[in-house]
Amino acid sequence: MPTDTKRVRGPELSQNPGLFACKPAGVVHATHGPRADGRQRDQVDVRPVFVRCGLVSQAKGSAYIEAGNTKLMCCVYGPRETERKDETDMKCGRLTTDMRFAPFSCPERGSWIQGSQDKDFSLMLHESLQPALCLHKYPRSQIEVNVMVLENSGSVLAHAVTCASLALADAGIEMYDLVLGCSIRQDGASYVVDPSYVEENSCSSVSGENQGGLTVAFLPSLNQISGLQSDGEMAEETLTAGVRTCIEGCYKLYPVIQQALAKAVRRAAPPPSES
Amino acid sequence: MAAVQVSEAEKVYILHGIRDDLRVDGRGCEDYRHMEIETDVVSNTDGSAKVTLGHTAVLVGIKAEIGKPRPMVPDEGYLEFFVDCSANATPEFEGRGGEELGTELSNTLYKVFNNKHSVDLKSLCISTGEHCWVLYVDVLLLQCDGNLYDAISVAIKAALFNTKVHISADDEGGKEIELSDDPYDCMRLNVENVPCIVTLCKVGHRHVVDATLQEKAVLCGEPDHLRHT
Repeated sequence: MPTDTKRVRGPELSQNPGLFACKPAGVVHATHGPRADGRQRDQVDVRPVFVRCGLVSQAKGSAYIEAGNTKLMCCVYGPRETERKDETDMKCGRLTTDMRFAPFSCPERGSWIQGSQDKDFSLMLHESLQPALCLHKYPRSQIEVNVMVLENSGSVLAHAVTCASLALADAGIEMYDLVLGCSIRQDGASYVVDPSYVEENSCSSVSGENQGGLTVAFLPSLNQISGLQSDGEMAEETLTAGVRTCIEGCYKLYPVIQQALAKAVRRAAPPPSES
Repeated sequence: MAAVQVSEAEKVYILHGIRDDLRVDGRGCEDYRHMEIETDVVSNTDGSAKVTLGHTAVLVGIKAEIGKPRPMVPDEGYLEFFVDCSANATPEFEGRGGEELGTELSNTLYKVFNNKHSVDLKSLCISTGEHCWVLYVDVLLLQCDGNLYDAISVAIKAALFNTKVHISADDEGGKEIELSDDPYDCMRLNVENVPCIVTLCKVGHRHVVDATLQEKAVLCGEPDHLRHT
């Protein structure tokens, strides 16, 4: 692990007090009970989403998304001249993505140094966004997308994809389509869409056949999947059913995102008055 | 991965061939290259394997060390993966060039093994909450000619098959552990459920298995990795 000499950190042996807390007897997550926040199992019940574009004035485009307690913001800079001259591509632009978690975002304190999980998410974000951008229209330039997770309450990658494509649209980067993300968590025979942090990380004591999570990045108008990441163990039919469920979840999100974008455009350039 | 320059005429040739289920080296779209697996190649390790898949060569060494189990799962051991893209494979990997690819491969391996059935982690426990076996799986890329994921997963399966973990004689559950005196007193792991990765590249309506670097240079899209047990 690389050491950070610039910041004064707490003692290395500090531990989360949650580890020492006594777990109450009946805390095992019921796989057939209702979800903690009142949503339904086995149904495409995504959390209501609040999105707003244009919150960072310095960035070319920016967006903020809130889904339940998950809060993330994304800024887009570009198209700019490529920083590293030897990587300038004459024919099309480059997309760089960076996804970071604030140390206070997860229940356990994370570190400021990018761990391998952050790099992993950045790579998946890059994979999901690249097919949607018309990079051939920006030769010799680079577009930077920076996502910062302020609070991680589950389903972070899916919302990051949505937020990033909103910010890209807000920045005026030409795209083939918006990319929307949705994730599910499969727990035995039932699944939950848009899981919260607790639902994502609870390992059910019954080691059932189907235990895993799935995140899908989807282009709604073109009906294409640009990114798919799955974790855990699932049977083939469960996986294909899960992909279809995620696609449905993306379709549910689409009108909200479109409305938010339209509002942002209207705010930025108000229509000429009647008189 | 290392870049290979392919001319336009070659690209067209390869694409038309794939459309007719015939690749440059005579394989069909669903055929693998010749694979050679050798185990127990490095004597200092607890388990090792070398896999050669066409021109891709991967060497995996596993060392078992005693560590403290993770706080959330005190009765299980765990695996740690590290992939090193050595500069031998291509000069692009010199210094920190190969680090990005190495991190991507390690992260995928962590995800692939992140389930209860691949490796029996409970058998790696020595005493609950105190000691457990940690298997450090180190992957070294010797030569790179495409299809790294498949070669690495096969090499890890072979190396885990070859791994000998010493059995501890003392089982009082206290802070002290004692390993048995007999050096041949070891347990072997059950690798039946260790996953093998299959990588597919989509070309038009066809899927190509085990793409070489030259074929990858032709296909612009990212390959899809499927995990199959």
